Amino acid sequence: MDESTATAVLLFIILFPIVMTAVIMYVGDKSEKLRNALAMATSAVIFLLTISLYPLVVGGNIIQVTLFEILPNLEISIRLDLLSFSLAALASFIWFLCTVYSLDYMAAEHGGSRYYPVLTFTLGSCIGIFLAGDFFTLFVFFELMSLIAYILVVHEETEEALKAGYKYLVMTIIGGLALFFGIILIFEIGGTVSLGVGTIVTETSTLALIAFICFLIGFGMKAGMFPLHVWLPDAHPVAPSPASALLSGIMLKTGAYGLYRVVFSIYSLEVIKAGRWDIILGVLAVITILLGSAVALTQDDIKRRLAYSSIGQMGYVLLGLSILNSNAITGSMFHIFSHAFMKSCLFLAAGAIIWKTGKRKISEMGGIGRQMPFTMACFSIAALAMIGIPPLNGFLSKWTLGLGALDANITFYALVLLVSSLLNALYYLPIIVPAFFEIPGEEKHDNAGLQLNDATPRMLAPLIILAICTILFGLMPGNLPFELSRLTSAFLLGGGQF
Amino acid sequence: MPLEHHYPALIIAILFGFAFLSPVIYKYTRKASVPVFITALSLTIFMALAMLFRIYADGPFTYHMGGWAPPWGVEFRIDLLRVFMLLIILGISSWIIVYAVKDLEHELKHNLIGWYYSLYALLVGSMAGMAMTNDFFNLFVLMEICAISACAIISIKEDRACLEASFKYLILSAMGTGCFLLGVAMLYMVTGHLNFAFVSEALPQAFELYPNNLFSASALFIVAFGTKAALFPLHVWLPDAHASAPSPSSAMLSGLVIKIYAFSLFVIFYQVFPRDLLDSLPLNQIILWLSVLGIMFGSIFAMVQVDLKKMLAYSSIGQIGYVFLGFGLDHNMAIIGGLYHILVHAIMKSMLFMTAGVIIYSTGVRRIKDLNGVGHVLPLTMVAFTIGSASMIGIPGTGGLISKWYLALGALETGQPFFVVIILASSLLNAIYYMPIIVNAFMQQDEFQIKAKPVPRSMTATLVVGMVAVIFFGVVSRPIIVLLEQAIQFLL
Repeated sequence: MDESTATAVLLFIILFPIVMTAVIMYVGDKSEKLRNALAMATSAVIFLLTISLYPLVVGGNIIQVTLFEILPNLEISIRLDLLSFSLAALASFIWFLCTVYSLDYMAAEHGGSRYYPVLTFTLGSCIGIFLAGDFFTLFVFFELMSLIAYILVVHEETEEALKAGYKYLVMTIIGGLALFFGIILIFEIGGTVSLGVGTIVTETSTLALIAFICFLIGFGMKAGMFPLHVWLPDAHPVAPSPASALLSGIMLKTGAYGLYRVVFSIYSLEVIKAGRWDIILGVLAVITILLGSAVALTQDDIKRRLAYSSIGQMGYVLLGLSILNSNAITGSMFHIFSHAFMKSCLFLAAGAIIWKTGKRKISEMGGIGRQMPFTMACFSIAALAMIGIPPLNGFLSKWTLGLGALDANITFYALVLLVSSLLNALYYLPIIVPAFFEIPGEEKHDNAGLQLNDATPRMLAPLIILAICTILFGLMPGNLPFELSRLTSAFLLGGGQF
Repeated sequence: MPLEHHYPALIIAILFGFAFLSPVIYKYTRKASVPVFITALSLTIFMALAMLFRIYADGPFTYHMGGWAPPWGVEFRIDLLRVFMLLIILGISSWIIVYAVKDLEHELKHNLIGWYYSLYALLVGSMAGMAMTNDFFNLFVLMEICAISACAIISIKEDRACLEASFKYLILSAMGTGCFLLGVAMLYMVTGHLNFAFVSEALPQAFELYPNNLFSASALFIVAFGTKAALFPLHVWLPDAHASAPSPSSAMLSGLVIKIYAFSLFVIFYQVFPRDLLDSLPLNQIILWLSVLGIMFGSIFAMVQVDLKKMLAYSSIGQIGYVFLGFGLDHNMAIIGGLYHILVHAIMKSMLFMTAGVIIYSTGVRRIKDLNGVGHVLPLTMVAFTIGSASMIGIPGTGGLISKWYLALGALETGQPFFVVIILASSLLNAIYYMPIIVNAFMQQDEFQIKAKPVPRSMTATLVVGMVAVIFFGVVSRPIIVLLEQAIQFLL
């Protein structure tokens, strides 16, 4: 595939979902089946097209194309490199699975003719973030995605959802303004915000530090970094479950992706290390990990517990980014993959339970594993991966991150990883164990809860695929995401070279 | 001389001519008056465009009324900056008049509509003249016409609130004109001229001899134009006037009228006054800090309003602050930002007032609290409101971001990041008062019980044009930025 074809494909990948949004919206009033099929087809097409770029990317090619100038020196451009490819492929894959899952899940819910167009549009803007060639384009798509995702958050239109949504909206706008400030500062310092120039800021200065903090606020807010995580535990649980899975599985990663670009494309490793800004990131990451895991312990609502767990898990990604050596970046990158698989699986499983039984409280879920064995089996696999049991993928990312921490001689970080694994075990095992071993209504001799009554195949299929992914992309040979993470890490640390 | 040389005079003559004819036309053939008016306006737009192309071909030019050369004759100066402003005025006012047709039938007594078009034409003509004029005397005359017709299109509704508001506006605006006249007298005393070019030539010498005259003249100008453009703290008349007026008048007043005064102040300070004067007095600093206060207080006052149109009016006080911020920062980038904001704000605020007008027309609701669920009854209107608000906040893809981008760059170039923080803080405040309206309008669908009248097609069409324009100027901003860069080259 040559460069011009690839450019056309990239443009298509970004624009296709946005065009399809209008089509799906139009079709939505006429035929539900066609609407659902189109939404599913769109995400499938995007996934396949993204994957087709794989040979180009592993060959070390970078595509950077300017589409047009919006202002002098400020352009709309697209870029494809290893990092963008990894995230775009991951996003479209999870998106496809969640759309499939939505078919049955949303059938019973209201507002499907609003849900599917929004889902598709969010996919487009999310892919747009990953394929943006400069920070301005990235910012445009970032804001689009964040604002449109609001509709997903408040889908239920309950009092609680509206309240959470409002919090989300205000935080999003604050984050967006911080990003705007950061981008404009970088434009002022370097005269460009393109990702294609390598390093824009070559020395530390007060302005550069302010810009770095602005980016931390803007992207960190989206990634659920302490102390800007406050919107997340409210907003993620109130959304419909497939949307929660996407919010936690993919949309959090856009924040992490932004920070990756900030660290590697705006500043250089030398600048970050000279200013000791990696310490800022590291400290915040440690607090995020411990706080997320600790608070998750106290939650009884299953989706809230998962949301807090997401905060903790994003802490790992940020921690790896703050250590800035080969193993740590590999681990952090790989954790983006792992967490997407694990957390989407968990949210979808939790969604299936809520959909089937209406139970949200963990204390009521005893014996649910007998009623819904497949769902709970997938849940358990993903939860074990979260804890970091080998040979699941969560183990591999923690192991690599730990290696990175030890390479950098920061034993403390490795300790944090261990403590947090312990905490993960403490809040996931009490869900799994009673689910299988407790028998509800034992005293009353009521067997209603014990009958096999699992979710529909169309809901189970995505769950099982995700659970298989957590096993397959663990310690198995031929682990594609891990290979990609290693390559990306080498690519980023080598300043855009292999 | 060929006809195209008379375009500057013709633009004003056509508009004023229509103002005189309109009541007659309306009396005999009611239906014809709007098409005639729109034809007249399109004719003027065509002339303005022709002048734009002539500038590109031959450079800026001047026009002498009746062939009398300055310093005695009346002179118009046509350069890129003036044409930019002229096109905004003509374009926006033709857009608003399409909307006004149906709205006025609803808001005014029928026998007054012909008079309304007269006043509207006078207002547009005087603003067009103010954009082109090159001497103080003309500016004064046109300012008076503008002020009186602006007052009249508020009070024409003849209810208590309108009369009170327009009276307040009249008094303060007269005070402003008084200050302007005094300032002009000060200048005339020391230079002996009224023509911009002659004054500007004589000023450097006069400045050495009589600095105090010029100091007081500039102070008077700031007060005069500050009052008329609603620069904080001289904004007190604006919220009542803009909120109580008929919706097309509100759109016109908030969208254009306050901008033309800001523009005139800019022309006087940067084209007429010598650079030494600007440097020896902290004039820019004064404008800068007043604009900052305006931006913050405008937004804060807007947050506590219960009436939708009043909230939009307070928001205008904040937004005109951006224009003055650009002028006060005194850097190319910031000035471009300020001028671009004149364009963007004219579009978005007019559109927002139109949406408010549509809501009032269709449902009669004015209070923000009662708007919950209105998005299900008037979806397109609320989408327009959403896009307008997004531009107010500065969401990427809308025009509002571009002007903020340039203002912020200007602030950084002059080494004052504090003002960037102000811009961001005010964007956040905008978000805080616009967002809940949108969210409640779309979400709480059961709460809206009033039956809506169908919205006329002409109103819908204007809103669609507005939405497209807001996004167009957010995406395709480069040609205009390039035009503005050339237009303010005299600053370099």
